[in-house]
Amino acid sequence: MPQIEIKSINAFYEKLHVLKNIKLSVSKGEIVSLIGPSGSGKSSLLKMLVGLLIPKSGKMYLNGNLVNFKNQSDLRTVREQIAIVFQQYNLFQNMNVLKNVCIAPTKIQKRNPKEVNEQAITLLEKVGLKDKLKSYPDELSGGQQQRVAIARALCLNPQILLLDEITSALDPELVKEVLDSIRLLASEGMTMLIVSHEMSFVKEVSSRVVFMDEGSIIEINNPKNIFEKPKEKRTLDFVSKILKEK
Amino acid sequence: MGYTLVYTQVLEFLPYLIKGAWISLQIAILAFFGGMFFGLILATIRTFGNNISNKIVICYVTFFTNTPQLVQIYFLFFALPEFGILLSPYIAVLLGMTLNAAAYLCEIQRAGFLSIRQNELDAAKTLNFSLVQQVKYVILPHIMRVLFPPLSNHYIIMTLGTSMAAIFGVEELTGRAFNINSETFRSVEIFSITALIYIVITFIATFLLAVIGRYFFKAKIRIIQ
Repeated sequence: MPQIEIKSINAFYEKLHVLKNIKLSVSKGEIVSLIGPSGSGKSSLLKMLVGLLIPKSGKMYLNGNLVNFKNQSDLRTVREQIAIVFQQYNLFQNMNVLKNVCIAPTKIQKRNPKEVNEQAITLLEKVGLKDKLKSYPDELSGGQQQRVAIARALCLNPQILLLDEITSALDPELVKEVLDSIRLLASEGMTMLIVSHEMSFVKEVSSRVVFMDEGSIIEINNPKNIFEKPKEKRTLDFVSKILKEK
Repeated sequence: MGYTLVYTQVLEFLPYLIKGAWISLQIAILAFFGGMFFGLILATIRTFGNNISNKIVICYVTFFTNTPQLVQIYFLFFALPEFGILLSPYIAVLLGMTLNAAAYLCEIQRAGFLSIRQNELDAAKTLNFSLVQQVKYVILPHIMRVLFPPLSNHYIIMTLGTSMAAIFGVEELTGRAFNINSETFRSVEIFSITALIYIVITFIATFLLAVIGRYFFKAKIRIIQ
């Protein structure tokens, strides 16, 4: 049974049709990368999976259960299992680093604060921010904030992690650090959906790669094939353009 | 100069003046909180309301921020009796200042609403915050931090603005200074002491507000200017 299964999802921002008839299923432990030009619907797809974008039609199953997006308790269940790291980090500016990571586990999941605190410190240490626990987001660089956001998502102990272009604001040295922590998670068997423009990384870690354009999924293929002999012409155009730039 | 400063006579009136200052403070506080409440309603309508209700609020705000406060109170005090509504000077001043404050405080609070960051709310939602938790942990701390400095400033301006009440015969600080002046003609002494009392009041308020703002809301305010 797939962990996530979506069938014929259509979603709109006002009148803009951002997701067109999306079908995708993701098994446990799989790492699925989403690639495609800007505005192709990759981020919208991730937002839909955590209920920030409510689909107009289609069905989504999580661990075999149909998700009713209009039902708050269904949404809560979805968000307990799926954590997202946003492109813009979306940290709480009025809380320090440690509080940002700890607030949801303690106040929402009602876990033991001491235990959460220890986990948060371990996670922040892992992403190299042990000396920034008391700093506020506006005192940190983009890369540091991004790593806080990753720690915040992981501290929820999610089953599935969504990463939305998490390396786009980082300098090359930090990209490696962040990608290393993702690799570690991948080796631990966490299910992940990754939106990324780091093609070599995508090629390396993904189980499957999804190419999207103008709100539709054009092609789903394994990483080797999608870069070397894609089935669709549009995929080939995109991939060859991207690889040429590198 | 043939004028010698004699403070002894005026100092006898100090308790009388300080009681007046208390009345000034009452007007300022009541009008401020009344204005906050009314302004919050206006700001809510302005942010979430429909086209027509928006325009009504815009008209209200434009009128009250573009006419002198004195004229507004004059209207309440002298024009309303023509319509059969008779207000005491104290009530007329209080009402006038509240209506005026509502217009300014509406704009300040609206700026607070607009400064809420959607991406923080998105994060809060995906972390399963309920609406109440979003308000408690994300919206209020942020709004208070942003709004505290301009609100404090407006409160200070309003405290000084209460001196207008003297014109209508309210016996607050300035009104009482007028009274003593017409009794003793020690104008320089009286008004210098009055000014000093105003400075003390506003200084205490500024200090308290800065301390509250810094330690409760993490607002960036300097305690000593």
